[in-house]
Amino acid sequence: MKIKHVSISILALVAALSLSGCETTGSSPEVSGGNVKYGDSKAVETLTNEFGSTDLQTIAEAMSRSMVQSRVIIAGNRPLVTVSEVKNKTSEYIDTKSITDSIRAQLLKSGAVRFAVDIDAMKTQTDELMRQNNSGLYKKTTQKKVGNMQGADYRLEGNITSIVKRAGDVKDVYYKFSLQLVDIENGVIEWADEKDIRKTSGR
Amino acid sequence: MPRSRFSSSLLLAAVVVLLSGCGSMRSYDGELKQTVGMVKSGSVTAALQDLEKNNSGKEENKDLLYFFEKGELLRLTTEFDNSNQAWMRADAKVHEWEETAKTSPEKLFGQVGSFLLNDRTRRYDGFDYEKVLLTSRIALNHIGNGDWDKARTEIKKTHEREAIIAQVREKQLEEAKAEAEKKNVKTTYKELKGYPVEMFDDPEVTKLANGYQNAFTHYLAGFTYEALGEKSLAAPGYRKAMELRPDLPRLGGALEKLDNHKQRPGYTDVLFVVEAGTAPARESMQIPVPVPLGQRFGVVSISFPVIHSDKSTAAPGQLMVDGKDAISLDSITNIDAMARRSLKDEMPGIIGRNIVRAIAKGVMQKEAGDRGGLIGSLLATAFTVVTEQADERSWRTLPALISIGRAQIPSGKHQMTLAGAQDSKVLDFTVSGSHAVVPVRLMSGSTYLMQSKAPAAFEPSTVVANAEQIAPPAASVNQVEVISASSERDTKTQSKSSLVSKKRKK
Repeated sequence: MKIKHVSISILALVAALSLSGCETTGSSPEVSGGNVKYGDSKAVETLTNEFGSTDLQTIAEAMSRSMVQSRVIIAGNRPLVTVSEVKNKTSEYIDTKSITDSIRAQLLKSGAVRFAVDIDAMKTQTDELMRQNNSGLYKKTTQKKVGNMQGADYRLEGNITSIVKRAGDVKDVYYKFSLQLVDIENGVIEWADEKDIRKTSGR
Repeated sequence: MPRSRFSSSLLLAAVVVLLSGCGSMRSYDGELKQTVGMVKSGSVTAALQDLEKNNSGKEENKDLLYFFEKGELLRLTTEFDNSNQAWMRADAKVHEWEETAKTSPEKLFGQVGSFLLNDRTRRYDGFDYEKVLLTSRIALNHIGNGDWDKARTEIKKTHEREAIIAQVREKQLEEAKAEAEKKNVKTTYKELKGYPVEMFDDPEVTKLANGYQNAFTHYLAGFTYEALGEKSLAAPGYRKAMELRPDLPRLGGALEKLDNHKQRPGYTDVLFVVEAGTAPARESMQIPVPVPLGQRFGVVSISFPVIHSDKSTAAPGQLMVDGKDAISLDSITNIDAMARRSLKDEMPGIIGRNIVRAIAKGVMQKEAGDRGGLIGSLLATAFTVVTEQADERSWRTLPALISIGRAQIPSGKHQMTLAGAQDSKVLDFTVSGSHAVVPVRLMSGSTYLMQSKAPAAFEPSTVVANAEQIAPPAASVNQVEVISASSERDTKTQSKSSLVSKKRKK
């Protein structure tokens, strides 16, 4: 009886050790000093009335989904697009570059569209080409040749506007984000869409 | 009877000693009058020594004001790195305030001790306009060093700070209203006899949207984002500046130019920032206020802060570049008016606290008079006088007025003439890259050009150029040194700025 008891407890111990061994390798220890915690980055944020993370995400998602489903993208053979400017016509410090970056990332992930380097990244692109070709440091066979950059078929441009109204304790903000895809060769607008967002807050 | 009289007066004396002992009795206005006077006469080094002398305590006990003033003085000597070091300490303190504001704003409204004693015993958190201007000025220092990216970080911080302040003030306004109703304090500043109400009714004050947003900060944000090629962020900066100052039509030009203007090769888009005078002083003013004391009303003299403006320096309306191109200056931000606006917003709170305190004190004075006879009464009066000093603290070395002018001028060396009321001053400056900021500070007879990173051999005090000394445009010793310092900065900033200019050419 006694021996049986001991053996069971040893078995249990071994099992516990082996199990807990698995667990510790899976998760790192936690260092916490107070009230900091991680949240869901997609959580709906309604802390204030100003342009926020949820607005950015909804706009980027709506725009990229709409564009992927457009006839010009489906029919075209992975057309080459470049991101032009999205004008900020609001009085809020909204970084429209971060919205277009999100749209571009989602479109690229879909595989339906390819992107050419935009104006902002042009300097780094030409610098790299120049360095490979002019510095004399690179092997001839691996040098990327100058004059092979591809011109984009379409350009993506747009704007964001807002209407802000206050009455008594209520503040109402309306955002409208418009985006269009323009055929660079013939100037035809092939696709356009809008996403509007209304936010109302009371005291 | 004599024994109880003695003991009660002893008690009062003890209270006086105890209360005055908490370091609150320092006259900030008195200290800073001297420091500012030194800067006005052209001696920043002496002013810095004076500041250190007045704040000789332990490093960790130094307050927000010390770092505010120190950073400003160091900026005048163009030691931008050291200036920012001081200001970052101030920024850390403001950040603490922000954290409290975000998590438990109610803590900020009722710093209870002051109900019984005096506003000066409250921790100095800085006025809202000071908190906003702090990050703008740190950004100006970074631009002075040619580091636009770091300037951008500070500017972004400014937007976030403004949002927090807006939220806190909204909440506070509601609480103050409720509090006044609860305590039944109906006195407004208009009912204080002899109080200079006209300082609040000035159109410069009434046209301000609030006590914390200033148009210069937003214009500078626009300019910085534009210099970095971020138009979508530059546009709201200019737009906000226009919203805050609709009476300045020239500000709209920046927004138009943002979309339509092409940078001329070899030219620099220059933002001239001309700062004049110093921020106003807060002084104490004794005003008799009737308060209920038991059955009857008694009159207790209470001190209220009043704003005393610095009128020593007139802001020039325009400047000339190389003696021919006149550039108009718009006085975009009036810190003097903002200080008055802040006080106006604070007044209900100050009056509420003071009246509650006056009642308590009136009761004490009456009791002392009843029980302690003449000596007790005298002691109580002395106690009232000692403790009744309004809070005089504010960031004093800030300018009174910030004016801006903008022009595209050929990159390189130039001369600037500032037409003042009495005399004209000539300064040499250098611009390079696609965008540049040229900040100048006018204080009475002294002019400070805050351009260039001071190299080791450069004696900071020589930047101070008195009007008399540099009146002839021919190079004096001072001028040469200013130029050499500027050109040294050029080579440093050239590489960074030219990046931007190349980007724009495409």
